[in-house]
Amino acid sequence: MADIDKSETAHAAWLKEMEAASRAKQETFMNGIAARLRHPRMKEKPAHPYRGALDFWREFEWTEEERIARFADNWRSVGGHVARLSNADEVRDFIAGKAKELGARFVVRQNQAELDALGLEAALPDARISVWNSDPEEHWKARAAEADIGVVAADYAAAYTGSVTVLSAKDKGRSVSLLPTVLMIVIPIERLKTRLGEVLVNFDRAGREQLPAGIHFISGPSRSSDIENDLTIGVHGPGIVYALIVG
Amino acid sequence: MSATGAAHPSVKERAELALNDEFLRKAVKFTTERLRNGKKNASADHGNWDEWRERGRQIRLHTIAHLDYYLNLFVENARANGVHVHFADTGEEAVRISLDIAERKSAKSVVKSKSMVSEELHLNHALETIGVEAIETDLGEYIIQLAGEMPSHIVIPAIHKNRYQIADLLSEVAGERLEADTTVLAGFVRKKLREKFLEADIGMTGCNFAIAETGSMVLFENEGNARMVTTVPKTQITLMGMERIIPSFEDLEVMATLLPRSATGQKLTMYMSGISGPRRSDDADGPDEMHIIIVDNGRSLQLGDPEFQELLNCIRCGACLNACPVYRHIGGHAYGSTYSGPIGAVLTPALNKNIAEWDDIANASSLCGACYEACPVKIPLHEMLIYLRRRKVESGHGNKLEAAGMKGFAVLMANASRLRAILALGKIGQKLVVRKGEIRTKIGPLKGWNSYRVTPSLPRASFRDRWATLDQEIRHGLQELNPEMQRRLENAVKQRQQGGGAGHGGH
Repeated sequence: MADIDKSETAHAAWLKEMEAASRAKQETFMNGIAARLRHPRMKEKPAHPYRGALDFWREFEWTEEERIARFADNWRSVGGHVARLSNADEVRDFIAGKAKELGARFVVRQNQAELDALGLEAALPDARISVWNSDPEEHWKARAAEADIGVVAADYAAAYTGSVTVLSAKDKGRSVSLLPTVLMIVIPIERLKTRLGEVLVNFDRAGREQLPAGIHFISGPSRSSDIENDLTIGVHGPGIVYALIVG
Repeated sequence: MSATGAAHPSVKERAELALNDEFLRKAVKFTTERLRNGKKNASADHGNWDEWRERGRQIRLHTIAHLDYYLNLFVENARANGVHVHFADTGEEAVRISLDIAERKSAKSVVKSKSMVSEELHLNHALETIGVEAIETDLGEYIIQLAGEMPSHIVIPAIHKNRYQIADLLSEVAGERLEADTTVLAGFVRKKLREKFLEADIGMTGCNFAIAETGSMVLFENEGNARMVTTVPKTQITLMGMERIIPSFEDLEVMATLLPRSATGQKLTMYMSGISGPRRSDDADGPDEMHIIIVDNGRSLQLGDPEFQELLNCIRCGACLNACPVYRHIGGHAYGSTYSGPIGAVLTPALNKNIAEWDDIANASSLCGACYEACPVKIPLHEMLIYLRRRKVESGHGNKLEAAGMKGFAVLMANASRLRAILALGKIGQKLVVRKGEIRTKIGPLKGWNSYRVTPSLPRASFRDRWATLDQEIRHGLQELNPEMQRRLENAVKQRQQGGGAGHGGH
């Protein structure tokens, strides 16, 4: 243990050294850029008249019905599955039904209130269901890697591109939407927007300090066409993905 | 890269290899056509494509024009997120920093997701010299790494390999015979690389965009390997070209609209990840330590150069490759460098500032402008190719024979009666070589042309002979040059007269 502490201290010292070097270099690097651009170093925020999407695009919005239809079309067109469900009970039954059908033995889910409310544990007595980061001693990446099914609730979704957004947090592992073979994403209907921009703008508004370490947009199953242009599903991430639109 | 370059020093020779490889030519043609059609459909479906392109161009122009401000802002914010930021003027420096981190972490293996910057630096080789295994995890990159080759396409690196060749490569790794079936092969890679992800000490990525206002880095991908690389290992290193910056997440909407549609015709790639620093202290996954290495390696030479600054707007979608008739015939390897196709033809000499060495790449283009039409941020690549050719000639690297030929041509063309006389002579002289109205002989200077094509004979009544009548007919229907292009060319000439192009003065 003492050795590890010592090497960690040495590493921290090295990182500090590197930071000092980086800060010194930063000045010459930026000054070099300014000189090449033939202007004095810019310290003030420049006016950016073309920020973000075009004006007409910002006004574009679908009705809820259209959002659901378009999202489902997009999700299915890339090989994903969609279910339209009306309440938590239906979500629970759907997930439990699929889990039994697929013979899932290990399930990992985020520690989210929306998912607690489902009561999956009672519906799937034969499967081992782990709740992300509920025990600090557990090796959570391994739990996610062994899982047949991962269950997450979406933070946002965008119909136009057929994308779901999940944010990382203490209770929301990035691995849960990545390592299992099958992914179930619960999308509360009010979080389904029309455009990607409606989701992205939240991160600008929140500002750096409020951002999670990982913001992930998922638009279907993991895929590749790297071998002879032949589409393969589930190359690294989940190959079977369900979008469960609720409400 | 240097190995291929040294063995076959000219684009022409490398292209001959490609032209003789039937499979490669077909595969490249098929894939580029598929991607090109995908892009056409996706951009048409989305609508107002030219307005989106213009917006994308404006955002890139604005960011690059204020790069000192935005890059600095990014660095400050990334640091505030807990990222260790490093600066590398050269490729060697970036390699040294990467190796330092690997050594400090006593790393045994590094898993990598696709990064063109890393290709540019030949980082895998460097890691191997210090005993660190570097594993490419993008399916296509993994395949060409096993084959010991370079990517032949920015987006689909193993475009030139068929599944039998791939099965051979993977069977060697597996230690058993794998069927040449896509699902079997991809399944094997999934299993094999899962182990590698879980045991790797370091994950290494490139960076599609870096958001200045929040210090976040953004990755686009379809397989999920970039997510693996940024989620599982304890240390993450990101290599980032210094020009990858955009101001905000709002601006990302425009880039996310342009990039996937232009690259593969997708509305969005299966995964788009924004990563803002290492894992938070309460998080149970994500890296403990995160480094971003900001790489110049010749990029800043384009800054302030009116002819080439727009090169830095490139978002690496590969649409210009798919649109290029020359690329579709000769494939990526013929360009002999990390970046191929029209963007590679301009970027490679620009980054290396050694036009002499790469001089023939600029000639591997028909200047048709298809690359410009395809480019989602409207980089005038075809015009840049002309600037490159001009600089090459100005710096004394022109072709002596060509110069002599041009001089002779000028002498002929300057005088109408001289031209008439020589054409009359030609009509008589060609009787020795013309067969059925075509010249197919490969003697002397005709060899290069007639190996692949047929030289037409001089007609009995030439265009010149018929000109007087034609002139009358079309005098009123003359089309003018596209006004935008004319303006651009005029501006370029003006800027050149004001002493532009200083950045390339050393060529």
